[in-house]
Amino acid sequence: MTAITTRAVGSSPTRIEGTAKVTGAARYSTEQDHLGDVAYLWPVPATIAKGRVEAVDSDAVAGLPGVLAVLTPDNAPRLETPDDAELAVLQDHEVSYRGQFVAAVVATSLETAREAAASLHITYAEVPHDSELTENHPKLSKPEKVNPAFPTDTEDGDVDAALAAAAVTVDATYRTPPVHNNPMEPHASLAVWLGHELTLYDSLQGAFAAQQALAKLFALPPASVHVINEHVGGGFGSKGTVRLGAVLAAMAAREVGRPVKVVLGRQHMFTVVGYRTPTIQRVRLGADADGQLTAIEHAAIEQTSTVLEFAEQTTVATRIMYAAGSRRTSHRLAALDVPTPRWMRAPGECPGMFALESAMDELAVATGVDPVEIRIRNEPDVEPESGKPFSSRNLVACLREGAERFGWAARDPRPGVRRDGRWLVGTGVAASTYPSYVGPSTASAAAEPGGGFVVRISAADIGTGARTVLTQIAADALRVRVEEVRVEIGDSSFGQAALAGGSMGTASWGWAVTRAGERLRAALDEHGGDGRLEVHVDTAEEVKARTGFAYHAFGAQYAEARVDLDTGEVRVPRLLGVFGVGRIVNPRTARSQLIGGMTMGLSMALHEEGVLDPAFGDYVNHDFAGYHVAAAADVADIDAVWVDEQDEHVNPLGVKGIGEIGIVGTAAAVANAVFHATGVRVRDLPIRLDKLLGGLPG
Amino acid sequence: MDFLQPSTMAEALAAKAEHPGAVPIAGGTDVMVEMNFDKHRPPALLDVTRVSELTEWGMDDGRVRLGAGVSYTRIIDELGDRLPGLAMASRTVGSPQIRNRGTVGGNLGAASPAGDAHPALLAADAEIELQSTAGTRVVKAHEFYLGVKRNAARRDELITAIVLTPPSGPQQFCKIGTRNAMVISVAAFGLALHPDRRVVRTGIGSVAPTPRRAYAAEEFLAAELESAGLWESRAELPTALAREFGEKVKAAGAPIDDVRGTAAYRLHSLAVMARRAVTWAWTDYRTARGT
Repeated sequence: MTAITTRAVGSSPTRIEGTAKVTGAARYSTEQDHLGDVAYLWPVPATIAKGRVEAVDSDAVAGLPGVLAVLTPDNAPRLETPDDAELAVLQDHEVSYRGQFVAAVVATSLETAREAAASLHITYAEVPHDSELTENHPKLSKPEKVNPAFPTDTEDGDVDAALAAAAVTVDATYRTPPVHNNPMEPHASLAVWLGHELTLYDSLQGAFAAQQALAKLFALPPASVHVINEHVGGGFGSKGTVRLGAVLAAMAAREVGRPVKVVLGRQHMFTVVGYRTPTIQRVRLGADADGQLTAIEHAAIEQTSTVLEFAEQTTVATRIMYAAGSRRTSHRLAALDVPTPRWMRAPGECPGMFALESAMDELAVATGVDPVEIRIRNEPDVEPESGKPFSSRNLVACLREGAERFGWAARDPRPGVRRDGRWLVGTGVAASTYPSYVGPSTASAAAEPGGGFVVRISAADIGTGARTVLTQIAADALRVRVEEVRVEIGDSSFGQAALAGGSMGTASWGWAVTRAGERLRAALDEHGGDGRLEVHVDTAEEVKARTGFAYHAFGAQYAEARVDLDTGEVRVPRLLGVFGVGRIVNPRTARSQLIGGMTMGLSMALHEEGVLDPAFGDYVNHDFAGYHVAAAADVADIDAVWVDEQDEHVNPLGVKGIGEIGIVGTAAAVANAVFHATGVRVRDLPIRLDKLLGGLPG
Repeated sequence: MDFLQPSTMAEALAAKAEHPGAVPIAGGTDVMVEMNFDKHRPPALLDVTRVSELTEWGMDDGRVRLGAGVSYTRIIDELGDRLPGLAMASRTVGSPQIRNRGTVGGNLGAASPAGDAHPALLAADAEIELQSTAGTRVVKAHEFYLGVKRNAARRDELITAIVLTPPSGPQQFCKIGTRNAMVISVAAFGLALHPDRRVVRTGIGSVAPTPRRAYAAEEFLAAELESAGLWESRAELPTALAREFGEKVKAAGAPIDDVRGTAAYRLHSLAVMARRAVTWAWTDYRTARGT
């Protein structure tokens, strides 16, 4: 052990498990070869959108060689009532959306399970369904709160009077389609029972929360449930909480008396793991002739299923973005016969900021004020909603830095006038924001007998580099080199910890790891390095004491769009994001997170759209053949940089989350650039070729 | 499901004769996707990758005989000079991995209206060689596509080769998709000018139940080039002529609306692609020597 003074935080080590991953040595959830005799479960999705399962005729398949069990609503083991109603799989005969799992087959091979599942005969009593969200849907109602616990509506000042008196107004409706989060690794669960002890290897964004949920569901003490998520191949929110594949695996493993694997198929994922709700958003802005806002109204319409109310917080970013004398936001929700929408990367902020930042661009056009300048003019001194000071807010610095780097100064505001051959060329800007959440976490740190240190925390590395940055943080807290520290994550037995969600991983886990490292260092300094010390910390009290400020990250997105004058094809040759996101622990992995989010935002702008067939109540393009995400060839010059931001209030490390802010604002920046290129304002995503054609200049 | 794995052409033809329901599989980029989506569950798969005649190409009496199992990557690398239109189309197929596996034979077997090779084959007056234990026959490309995903091969026949004459003039291929790569076409267009025969050939994709030629457009352009003496003079192509050609190509389409694009957009883009392709091709013709 060598006490050192150089800091690991701020350096760019490559991912610690990178070599293991690219050589195949890393074992993902269902790759537990040591378990031997494993059975396979294949679920059976409902082929109606609403009704009841009358009968499941399993006789024909139950006798097939290799079939171990057929689980149906009639014979599936009873579960305790879960907090998440989606987890009550096979607990009743109701069908609430097409594709909902209504049975499952367990067999000795995946092929047998799949074949038997396909030939299972199910009789339904079908009733008419209603799956299409519309602006005036009779089922629209006001949810009690929006995700996770924000007020549904807010109002401050007299919006109507301010709008009536405004010199300039914008009143526009924006629409975003259903979009689907599809990590490359599907949801994959492997359950093993040993007596009354359950071990679940799963691809999850949080092992501890999954342990709690499963313990409740199976009426076990939490200590009897062990959840392991050592490596996770992407999540984007869809693995934020335990999902029904895990429940089926655990249920089936107990039934057949051997470990059971459930790996969802790609097409299942478009239905059962959540997606981003479609939105219809009306934004009204009132401003004086100089673009100073006097009124902001943002009203969102969205959907949920009849199984579970998920009310996305579409307009919450509008509550904190700009200074205006009066502001009103609202959410209305229709519970339809559709799959349950849930978290997808920046739920709320992402679609909401598409609308708000498109409207700000329209206001810039209407007032003739530069789009960068109009945002700077409306910069608030304190958080508009709460009146609290920001722990730090560098939107203006990000806008200015971006304008400088992007070459914004010479921009001619007129739309549709720049040509390069048959290409129309334009540029656009949009702001981005994401809250800087933090969750209580526990961690332990120990000096190992043979030298070196081990730090344990129930964190999840979903491809972000979490394991690597926590090692850097631990090394600094212990004042040793990163090579001397081993960080173990992905195990519920390490205790309570925050999810890899809400962009709060590094802030929350880093806080606990810092405290654990500091305490172990102090103990070692006090007792001498006898090699057998271990400390445990819990940040609950400290986290609770974090008050007094508004905690958010901000950024500015710049895009260049080129649109083919004849075909309407859109290319985005340049994307630049500038972010104020506190301290950057690892520039290499941070940049990857940010440009990954921006790429997903570009994909949202140009490609992604779940196409609902109202007749069947399901998404017709439910695989990568039909659901297009941006390909490498769609992403040209993309870069993310950050401004120097030191925030001593946000958390001890001064970090803000970076997993989600990259996707926020990107789609608006692209749409604004497309407007600048063509003069065509596309208010409903994605910007398809045929939406541009009619309006292109001749 | 049976998996048949012949190692010679004779074995392959015998297997196809014995199992007429067997689906030939080469790169698997289409067959395996269809099976994975449970669209087809054929009684047998006939793996043709071990039949060396299918994976070779060669010159035969001045024409290219392209084995049905030659990958797109090899067409791009080895035949870019002899089959420029097909090579251009091949570059737009999927991703590098797909181009390493996928074959023109597979495109023909699937006979999807969106298959990238079809417009190029139609424009090049390609001939499709079909073999069975009863013998060999040749079907012209424009007679090969019978309906949506239906082709002229009999159940006992294998698609063994594509025979093409190296072009006497320029060829072009255009494709529009909803993203920049790995994309099924919203609309596609192939063009070949044949100065030796004074004819124009076209192929249109994703705009009708089958890939097809735009006959009226071909005849129109050939007649205009002839009457204006443009084949000899190599003078500039009148803009109005290119535009009119585009409109006539558009008139050959009969597309549908689907998740990738509207019928109206497909027709519009077809006219744009045809106009651009003929402009580029004519520029090539004017600047080329000795053709």
